[in-house]
Amino acid sequence: MSISDEAKMTRQVLLVEDSPGDVRLTQEAFREARRSVQVHVASDGLEAMAFLRRDGTYTNAPRPDLILLDLNLPKMDGREVLARIKGDDRFKTIPTVILTTSESEADIMQSYQLQANCYLSKPVQLESFERLISSINDFWLTMVKLPHQKQDANEAALKGE
Amino acid sequence: MASVAYRGTVVSTESNRWARHVVQVLGNLQDLVLGLSETESAYHDYIVSGSPSYLESYRASLIKVTTDEAALREATADNPGQAATLTGLATRISEQIGFDETVINLRSATGLDAAATTIRGDTNPRTIVAIEAAVTKMRDEESRLFAMQNEDATRRSHEASAGLIIGTVLEVLIIAAAGWRVHRASSRRHLAEEALRESEMQWRMLVHEVQDYAICMLDLNGQIVTWNEGAERITGYAAAEIIRRNFSCFYGTEDKQKGLPANILRTAIADGRYEGQGTWVRKDGSRFIANVTVTALHDRSGNLQGFSEITRDLSKTEASAAKYRGLLEAAPDAMVVVNEGGAIVLLNVEAERQFGYPRDELLGQQVKNIIPEGFAERLISDGTRSTAEALAQQIGTGIELYGRRKSGGHFPIEIMLSPLESTEGVLITAAIRDISVRKAAEKHLLQMEKRYRGLLEAAPDAMVVVNQAGDVILLNVQAEKQFGYSRDELLGQPVKNIIPEGFAERLIADGLRSAEDASAQQIGMGIELIGRSKTGGNFPIEIMLSPLESTDGILVTSAIRDITTRKRAEAQLLQKVEELNRSNRELEQFAYIASHDLREPLRMVASFMQLLSRRYKGKLDSDADEFIAYAVDGVDRMERLIQDLLSYSRVGAKKGILYETSSELALLQALTNLSNAIHAADAEVTHDPLPSVFGDEVQLTQLFQNLVGNAIKYQNRGTPRVHISVAKSEPGRWTFSIKDNGLGIEPQYFEKIFGMFQRLHRRDEFSGTGIGLAICKRIVERHGGNISVESCPGQGSTFRFALAEGMTTS
Repeated sequence: MSISDEAKMTRQVLLVEDSPGDVRLTQEAFREARRSVQVHVASDGLEAMAFLRRDGTYTNAPRPDLILLDLNLPKMDGREVLARIKGDDRFKTIPTVILTTSESEADIMQSYQLQANCYLSKPVQLESFERLISSINDFWLTMVKLPHQKQDANEAALKGE
Repeated sequence: MASVAYRGTVVSTESNRWARHVVQVLGNLQDLVLGLSETESAYHDYIVSGSPSYLESYRASLIKVTTDEAALREATADNPGQAATLTGLATRISEQIGFDETVINLRSATGLDAAATTIRGDTNPRTIVAIEAAVTKMRDEESRLFAMQNEDATRRSHEASAGLIIGTVLEVLIIAAAGWRVHRASSRRHLAEEALRESEMQWRMLVHEVQDYAICMLDLNGQIVTWNEGAERITGYAAAEIIRRNFSCFYGTEDKQKGLPANILRTAIADGRYEGQGTWVRKDGSRFIANVTVTALHDRSGNLQGFSEITRDLSKTEASAAKYRGLLEAAPDAMVVVNEGGAIVLLNVEAERQFGYPRDELLGQQVKNIIPEGFAERLISDGTRSTAEALAQQIGTGIELYGRRKSGGHFPIEIMLSPLESTEGVLITAAIRDISVRKAAEKHLLQMEKRYRGLLEAAPDAMVVVNQAGDVILLNVQAEKQFGYSRDELLGQPVKNIIPEGFAERLIADGLRSAEDASAQQIGMGIELIGRSKTGGNFPIEIMLSPLESTDGILVTSAIRDITTRKRAEAQLLQKVEELNRSNRELEQFAYIASHDLREPLRMVASFMQLLSRRYKGKLDSDADEFIAYAVDGVDRMERLIQDLLSYSRVGAKKGILYETSSELALLQALTNLSNAIHAADAEVTHDPLPSVFGDEVQLTQLFQNLVGNAIKYQNRGTPRVHISVAKSEPGRWTFSIKDNGLGIEPQYFEKIFGMFQRLHRRDEFSGTGIGLAICKRIVERHGGNISVESCPGQGSTFRFALAEGMTTS
């Protein structure tokens, strides 16, 4: 597969976000940045975990290339979701980016300690937000080299998962 | 010595040169012993107290001793035996004084401990006892001479009753002295005590010397307490054998069976005095006819203290009459014997001295001449009473009257009377004591006490004076009020009743320390304790103790303040501070959370407004475009507002420690952050080299950023010029100045601009939230400084703030 083929390939993004407005904005911004991104939405922590584990209605859910995780979520908050992802061999290699309105030092520190891949705060201005999503696309969905999905899964299987 | 002249005149008309001489020598000897005793007493008082006043009296007594010694030497020059004894005595005395001087020097130079060590280490046999022995020897010799020379006179005397008279005089003397001794025990007034001490010394000497009278003191049960030489000679018992035994041992079995000894005491208690003749048993079993006088001794309050017993071996009386005359002369008090007609029939040298008359002028005179009031009246009243009644009334209670000197001057006297039936009718013997000194001392003490009491009552605090036993002995009205007791309910009560803990314990601790230590430690240092009122309620008190040296020992004066109100106020203040802190914390928390959570919906409004504007601009009508523009503008402003609020609350929330920070780096960071604005305005920002300060770098950056940002923003036209300079305003502090060439500010706004949401310009002139300078103020205040502005409209502004200097100055 050539690099350009790869670039054209549709990327799977799991957006964990409870605000429909933010969901829409994020979708709009991705649409501006790249046509070939499929944004899956989980509106709370439990849904996010179910999606990753392919529980129930998510049986056919794809393994995401990137997780965009808000911290303040109903039911199971973003910090716990992050801890579970990074504590699970099957999911911990998935880049998980915190995307939140919080600028609190405590949140930033805690997120990195829980192995977040990076911490971004949502700008108020639309243009800034669009630039941010565009950067995420350029970096995490384009430039970054990730482990092969199947190989990754096999390794997990070997460990008896 | 002035009284020497009077001493020359002797008892009676039969006196001759020899008797005069003997009396003079005896008088000189007494003066010397007295002087020595005073010296020793002052010496001891000084060693113990270290008070210079005692040293002064020591020196004064020493001069007296020297004078007395010289007088004695002159008087005994004609008697080689006496002169030799005196030389020995003088040596002893000078040795003793030499030793005293050494100890005194040690005491003043190094203190009590060194002096005490020297005294303990003194093994030299020279003692005051040796001195006394020499004195006794000399006195005995003189007495012997006196008795010898007087024999002739006595023989020629028609006074068959002289011995009896003098014997009774002696009795009065003893009783008087005993009475005064009791009086002394009840009165501890220091100055008065001095005079009494002298008399007691002399009295002891007299009693000790008496050979023909058994004189002893009995306690309440008749047990023998004191014993003299006469008693030993008459009964054959030595003092060590007889002390603590009951006086009933002098009586035969029959008398004891009849309960005579007990009856004697009973009579003495009932009538004040028992007098009778009986048969006494000596130690060897032999018997003799004894005249026994037992007198009950009372103190001033009338409590029975014991008895004096005087026993005469009747067979010996006459022979020793002459000697008693000498004793009368040696009496410490003025002795005057008066007949029923009020005429003076006998007196001693001391009486001459006190009243200032030569003997011859007084003999046969009316006693009214020297004691104008009280005495004669008493004679009359006493004449109608029995001897026993009169004595019972007067023993132990000196009557205070006034004496009149030949010179006409009056002086207070205390007088003891004793009627005596003689062949010449009833004679009254009076022992008279000059009490001017004591009176003056009492008056002084009374004044002091009044003054002290006045001070006590004037004090704003409750004042309680406590003795070493922990009993309240003085208090003021405030103390009554504070503790709810009346004065009488507290006086004499343990202080523990009103201050249960901490006070009495402190007394004990203080007792172990010197008064100076204790006061040095406690003055100005209140101790907080708990007071208990009569109703049982406890309340917090603050007490100040100060030791007070008094004649009654060390007293502790305590000022007691009820601090209930203060305590309550303190507690309330503490609570208020805590509430304020909590409310401040809550407010900061609130501001932070509010501004943070406000951003979330704001983002929605902002983003979708912008989306709307972008996608539908020109597709709706012009009104819609305008409305959307206002909405977008509103969102912009709100975002900045929230951002600033967030910054403001962060300055307070972040209670970080200040570190050594480069203010220049902070400024450079601020300029970097402002680079867009600086570029857009084409501003010139210059600065001096900036020093290292104690601060929070992030906050300092924000401070510079806000101030420089404002300087660039509030401009008319032309090139904005900003200069940051620094100067040392006071040691350890740097004052920073940010000077611009902008619009300037009118003076009435100098204060206002640092308040929250305070703006001076319309939105369409300059945008802003009105929080920027409030943030600056908060940052500077958190750094322990203050910020101010100096400006003139149209001529730019200078903002100044001061920061603490760092370790390394640049």
